[in-house]
Amino acid sequence: MARIEPGMEAMLDMYFYETNSLLEQLDEILLRTEQANCFDSEDIKEIFRIMHTIKGSSAMMGFDNLSVLAHKAEDMFFVIRENPDVITDVSFVYDLVFQVSDSYKAQIEAIQNHVDGEYESMDFTDLINKLLKARDVLLGETSADAVAPAAGTPAAAAPAVETDSDKTTVKVFFEDGCQMENLRAFLLINTIKEECSFLEFTPSDVETNPETSKTIIDNGFLITFKPLDNVDFVLKQIENALNVQSYEVVAAATAAPAAELPPEPKAVAPAPVAASSAPVAAPVAAPAAPEVKEQSSVEKAQAAVEKAQAASGMQKQNLISVNLAKLDALHDIVGEIITTESMVISNPDLEGLELESFNKAARQLRKLTSELQDTVMSIRMVPLAGVFQKMNRIVRDMRKKLGKEVDFVIEGEETEVDKSIVDSLQDPLMHLVRNCMDHGIEDDVQDRINAGKPEKGTLKLSAQNASGEVIITVQDDGAGIDPEKILAKARKQGILTKPESEYSEKEIQNLILLPGFSTNEQVTEFSGRGVGMDVVKANVEKCGGTIVVDSKKGSGTAFIIKIPLTLAIIDGMEITCGDLVFTVPIATIKESFKAEASQIIRDTTNNEMIMIRGVCYPILRLHEKFGIETKVTDLEEGILLLVETDNKSMCIFADKLIGEQQVVVKPFPKYLARYNIKGEGLSGCTIMGDGSISLIIDTNTLIG
Amino acid sequence: MTYDVIKEAVAKQQSGDKKLSTENRILGKVMTFYIGDQIYGIEIQNVIEIIEMQPITRIPHVPSFIKGIINVRSKVVPIIDIRTRFGKEEIPYTSRTCTIILTMDDITVGIIVDRVADVEDIHSGDISATPESRAVNTNAFIQYMIRSGEDVKMILDVEKLLGDEV
Repeated sequence: MARIEPGMEAMLDMYFYETNSLLEQLDEILLRTEQANCFDSEDIKEIFRIMHTIKGSSAMMGFDNLSVLAHKAEDMFFVIRENPDVITDVSFVYDLVFQVSDSYKAQIEAIQNHVDGEYESMDFTDLINKLLKARDVLLGETSADAVAPAAGTPAAAAPAVETDSDKTTVKVFFEDGCQMENLRAFLLINTIKEECSFLEFTPSDVETNPETSKTIIDNGFLITFKPLDNVDFVLKQIENALNVQSYEVVAAATAAPAAELPPEPKAVAPAPVAASSAPVAAPVAAPAAPEVKEQSSVEKAQAAVEKAQAASGMQKQNLISVNLAKLDALHDIVGEIITTESMVISNPDLEGLELESFNKAARQLRKLTSELQDTVMSIRMVPLAGVFQKMNRIVRDMRKKLGKEVDFVIEGEETEVDKSIVDSLQDPLMHLVRNCMDHGIEDDVQDRINAGKPEKGTLKLSAQNASGEVIITVQDDGAGIDPEKILAKARKQGILTKPESEYSEKEIQNLILLPGFSTNEQVTEFSGRGVGMDVVKANVEKCGGTIVVDSKKGSGTAFIIKIPLTLAIIDGMEITCGDLVFTVPIATIKESFKAEASQIIRDTTNNEMIMIRGVCYPILRLHEKFGIETKVTDLEEGILLLVETDNKSMCIFADKLIGEQQVVVKPFPKYLARYNIKGEGLSGCTIMGDGSISLIIDTNTLIG
Repeated sequence: MTYDVIKEAVAKQQSGDKKLSTENRILGKVMTFYIGDQIYGIEIQNVIEIIEMQPITRIPHVPSFIKGIINVRSKVVPIIDIRTRFGKEEIPYTSRTCTIILTMDDITVGIIVDRVADVEDIHSGDISATPESRAVNTNAFIQYMIRSGEDVKMILDVEKLLGDEV
């Protein structure tokens, strides 16, 4: 067990956030370049920079093992950076770096879950040795073709600009409140020292003396350097460095390129705290240093923009990170404001009064509160891109391990859903993607060819908005589900509830979502442990969603997940039954009507049904279901609501309709969690305009 | 969430330590209320507030002692009828019937009592452990008792009251 250094706890959150973002960025670069099967020099620099930052911050936080690991990875990339041609076999480098990235994530998770500052310090010796070996191998190759030194680096590729021997002095300011200024300064020095033949900086003991942070905040960080070939290039690196807010050239070299730079402090595009500033700022900086990008500056700039867009899942300008608890609190308050507003506006004291100006003001208030509500909801909405991108990695790993050729297609990753839903979607999606890779896509390419399908399989992950719901589909073009096999397996497991002949194909397919069902005879590393699909189903249902399987034998399987955009506010229809008020989600209501005696049918066991336009629906009497005393027991007297979910329909019988209302869903109090109220068809409650409580009906469980 | 000093006092009492009664320190405060003629008490740190009776929204499929839920300033709070919980006969609610909102480990409930009596100090000398016998049906919820003159006040164990046992 190791301990987190005292005094560092306050920085932990920021460290986690920063390091995790960097690792995600690293994964993203790796995945992108692996597809292209080559590193371009920008990517190598980027990876180098990421490793370097992680090394620095880990060392500062006292996570020595992480720091050493990053250091070794950095060493390896140092060799690659110096000579990009050395990599003849890229794949082993990828595997190594992915391993590094995974080890990091594992260790960080371990630290994150620490209790009282204690955490398990992992041993990375094996990996470090591998990295060292890789470095040596690469070094061997370097010396072999040392004749072509540093051919690919942009520094060398750029035409050397004649610079005066004068030195340039730059004063750098870091972003307000970015903390650890001294280390950031040190990292900056490290970044540019490769490009400089002379380098001096004040304060000079930034690496070892945290006290210098204050000096840097107050007076800026002074760097005097003599560039190897191009002042602009170094300046650009300073400008693009992490957390640099602005810099000014104090004493410029007399060379021409420097003159192009405005002497006053130059604001750098506000870069998100931890996300790479390089791709974002690159287009901005490109015009400032045309020589550097001379070869094909337009193309490069475009590439940079594309890169920035590709990474846009994580990178948005002007972002702030807010504690989720604060957002939840805000959300609660808005919910209460809406309730209170109804209490005021439809206050019984106002009944019968002619209040023209009050009504006007009330209308205005209502408009504003609804805007407020929309805004608060939108704050919590995050794009699915983050979760979707993680699947990329899983597909990559499995593609390698299983040796299957699969194209992974992502669509609609910009679709936004509530933050809490995004979080709970990650595991189910991961499982589905694994399942499709493992069981969906055929093991034998020949099978695919025989079936007339392209050799390469396709796995598609898509999301789309559809009337208050988000539909996420995981689809493969593999072998599909064999109903015979499923049925046989289900029979063996004893999970069939009715005669086999009564199962429709759809029902059979959905059997695989039941607990304890796994058709794969061989348990693989990735799936087939018998728990899985039912857990996926449970997870999806936990966030108010549904999942169905749609498969055709021979042509593929699709898992379709439908989830609500948000859980907190729904449009509801208020109905009464006895002295209770219920809310039925409007989305599930098909129609409401009064029954006529001629429509009502009773079967032999006296179950009531109703015939509407030639279709027969079962009737559920709310008062019987919930044991409520009511005077309205005659079906013709009360009201019937035709509700439908998942292609199942029925009619709910209640006393009467009150009307439509937008309601804020509140879960039942914690004390009641031990009683299975949810299982009885009530999903929560809501406080109405008059302060009374209405129970929200969960149509899904009620029908099921 | 009993004060530790009280636990200690009860333990000493049980072991026959006579020193307590002479010492007579104030150990805490208790809110007392009536169920029928008997005075019960709840240690003050568990009490949030006392509110008058409100319309209760019944909930299906819960034990009969849970009367339903009420809205306390936009918080939904379940309501337990102490009489029913103790297996006593129900009586109609009157203007003196009150709801005491209690909290325990982030669970909040309201309990319906016949009427609220007082808030008073707990003197160490007055504390007395419950008899070993479990013959009395309310005993399961009593943590200890307080003697004051002729009266005996039964201090409820909120943890058990909100616990799973029925």
